Amino acid sequence: MAACVKGLDKCMFSLRLLRNHQLQNERFLSTSLCRLNAEQPPKFTPPPKPVIIDKTQTEASLRKFLSPEFVPPRQRADPFKFFIERKDMIRRRKVLNIPEFYVGSILAVTMGDPNASGKSNRFVGICIQRGGKGLGASFVLRNIIDNQGVEICYELYSPRIQQIEVLKLEKRLDDNLMYLRDAMSEYSTVDPNMKPVPFSPTGEVPVNQLRVRMRPKPWSKRWERPRFNIKGIRFELALTPEQMEHAQKWEQPWNEYDMMKEYDTSTLEEQVRSEVQREMSK
Amino acid sequence: MWSCRLLLQRGTRLVSPRAAGSPANLVCCIRTVKTTTWFEEHLTEDNQEYMRKSMAEEIRRQTTEKLNPLKDELWQRNEWTEGSRRVGLVAIKLGMAPIWTKTGERHVVTMLQVQDCHVLKYLSKEEYDGHTAALMVGGKNVSPFQRSEEDMEIFRNAGVPPKQKVTTFKVSDNAIIKPGTPLYAAHFRPGQYVDVTAKSIGKGFQGVMKRYGFKGQPATHGQTKTHRRPGASGPGGDPAKVFKGKKMPGMMGNIFITASGLKIWRVNTKYNVLYVNGSVPGHRNCLLKVRDSVLPTRSSTLLNPPFPTYFTEEEGDLDEDLYDENLFVHTEPSLTLT
Repeated sequence: MAACVKGLDKCMFSLRLLRNHQLQNERFLSTSLCRLNAEQPPKFTPPPKPVIIDKTQTEASLRKFLSPEFVPPRQRADPFKFFIERKDMIRRRKVLNIPEFYVGSILAVTMGDPNASGKSNRFVGICIQRGGKGLGASFVLRNIIDNQGVEICYELYSPRIQQIEVLKLEKRLDDNLMYLRDAMSEYSTVDPNMKPVPFSPTGEVPVNQLRVRMRPKPWSKRWERPRFNIKGIRFELALTPEQMEHAQKWEQPWNEYDMMKEYDTSTLEEQVRSEVQREMSK
Repeated sequence: MWSCRLLLQRGTRLVSPRAAGSPANLVCCIRTVKTTTWFEEHLTEDNQEYMRKSMAEEIRRQTTEKLNPLKDELWQRNEWTEGSRRVGLVAIKLGMAPIWTKTGERHVVTMLQVQDCHVLKYLSKEEYDGHTAALMVGGKNVSPFQRSEEDMEIFRNAGVPPKQKVTTFKVSDNAIIKPGTPLYAAHFRPGQYVDVTAKSIGKGFQGVMKRYGFKGQPATHGQTKTHRRPGASGPGGDPAKVFKGKKMPGMMGNIFITASGLKIWRVNTKYNVLYVNGSVPGHRNCLLKVRDSVLPTRSSTLLNPPFPTYFTEEEGDLDEDLYDENLFVHTEPSLTLT
């Protein structure tokens, strides 16, 4: 209904313009004649669908992501302590933009260094682990440079970090990619001059279903054991079925029914997320 | 309300008969026989509600009264001189967090919150020990229903809700404060050094390797049933005895330990939180005693502290956060080290 009225409004406006124009040119014609000529109701075209752009929310929050170091750990500490820490974390985030990233994304970090030329050095790598809670949160980037594997652990809130940019945002099948140390080197090499891959701020984060080929055993950890619960390794190329069965001896199937190990953080996360969004938008 | 209080038959002898006989075993005995009644046992439900509400109201009234100590006549305020000692505070250990300096070094700090700290009593030189005067200070507020009459007397005289921890601080004569004044975290300033005393985490009965760091014995090469034992207990025939104080297995922890010379990096005046360098004895949410450091090398850092303590009315315009000069504040841009 409103659309019809809007359409009519536009028509009336354009008609009025025409009429004024004609009046100016054909002063001697009577106004009734003009009205007769111009007043043919044009074909009704519905107006274009309104596109709702939610300008109140920033781009990053459109995906409803809360960085894991904001969620308080399961401790007997006063929630007030986490509240104070969160205030400091938000203050730092207002100065340095810490983007959303997951384990398996490729990041480039510029850090201040007194011994480097230009006083800062840039390291590009794949994120293999995100650890710590609160201000001490850290992430480990891995890359292979000149045939040498290099892993650097950065603290997210350290003042020496000048810039963190996400070159490729993606998730992998596991939360912890430490097994890349025992995988073939092509899986850990990242081009240092890689161009950032564009990704949309809305929608699902792509999960890379890559399963990795391993070097021959021995590995640094027995990744086939069920306690690591790794889905991203091609065990069929590295181990025999007997070895896989032998690894299942360390299975602890009662863990999934253990009620004391359950810790539901959903309500806590919601509270923290709303608080963080409120503070960041101030 | 006071008639109800008499109903509380609080006996101080709550220890079971087993331990009463042998005082040496008091430490080991944990079980207590509770023969007393709690405050609500003989009351009807309405009365219980009323008791709780009236207590909460009284506590609120007392705290609001005490917020402006300058309204009642304060005791005489003197200036700080070299060699004068001022009061300390009772704080709660919240947890630990990292901080960074302006040069990029990372240190850890413990966060201590000062909650409802009030001065309770003044003990003059003669009353206390003959040499120095003392002030009793109390910490966190707790419910009055589980406190004995003798304890409640002190709190009632000061006009203050009952506290969980009550400690005494030795104080020089020019630093005495009227009982009932609240103490805040701004009493300490960043850059100052403090000593923190608290009860360490109790580990129970522990062997000599954990308690004193003895090396024990090897795991293999023929050791029969001897891997964590103390070994020899002293020299041989000449003393022919074991000296007093020989390190042997026993109760570890749950004793008062003082960590001295801890620097204060930051003071939050809004929430009364102190950020103290390094670690502090005690578990999370335990009550600690914080006072100015007595170390001779750190005496020069205490210049013009708020003496005898920090009053909100006089110096009310402190910023919400006071930082030490070397500390990196998170609102500054990232460091470019040179």
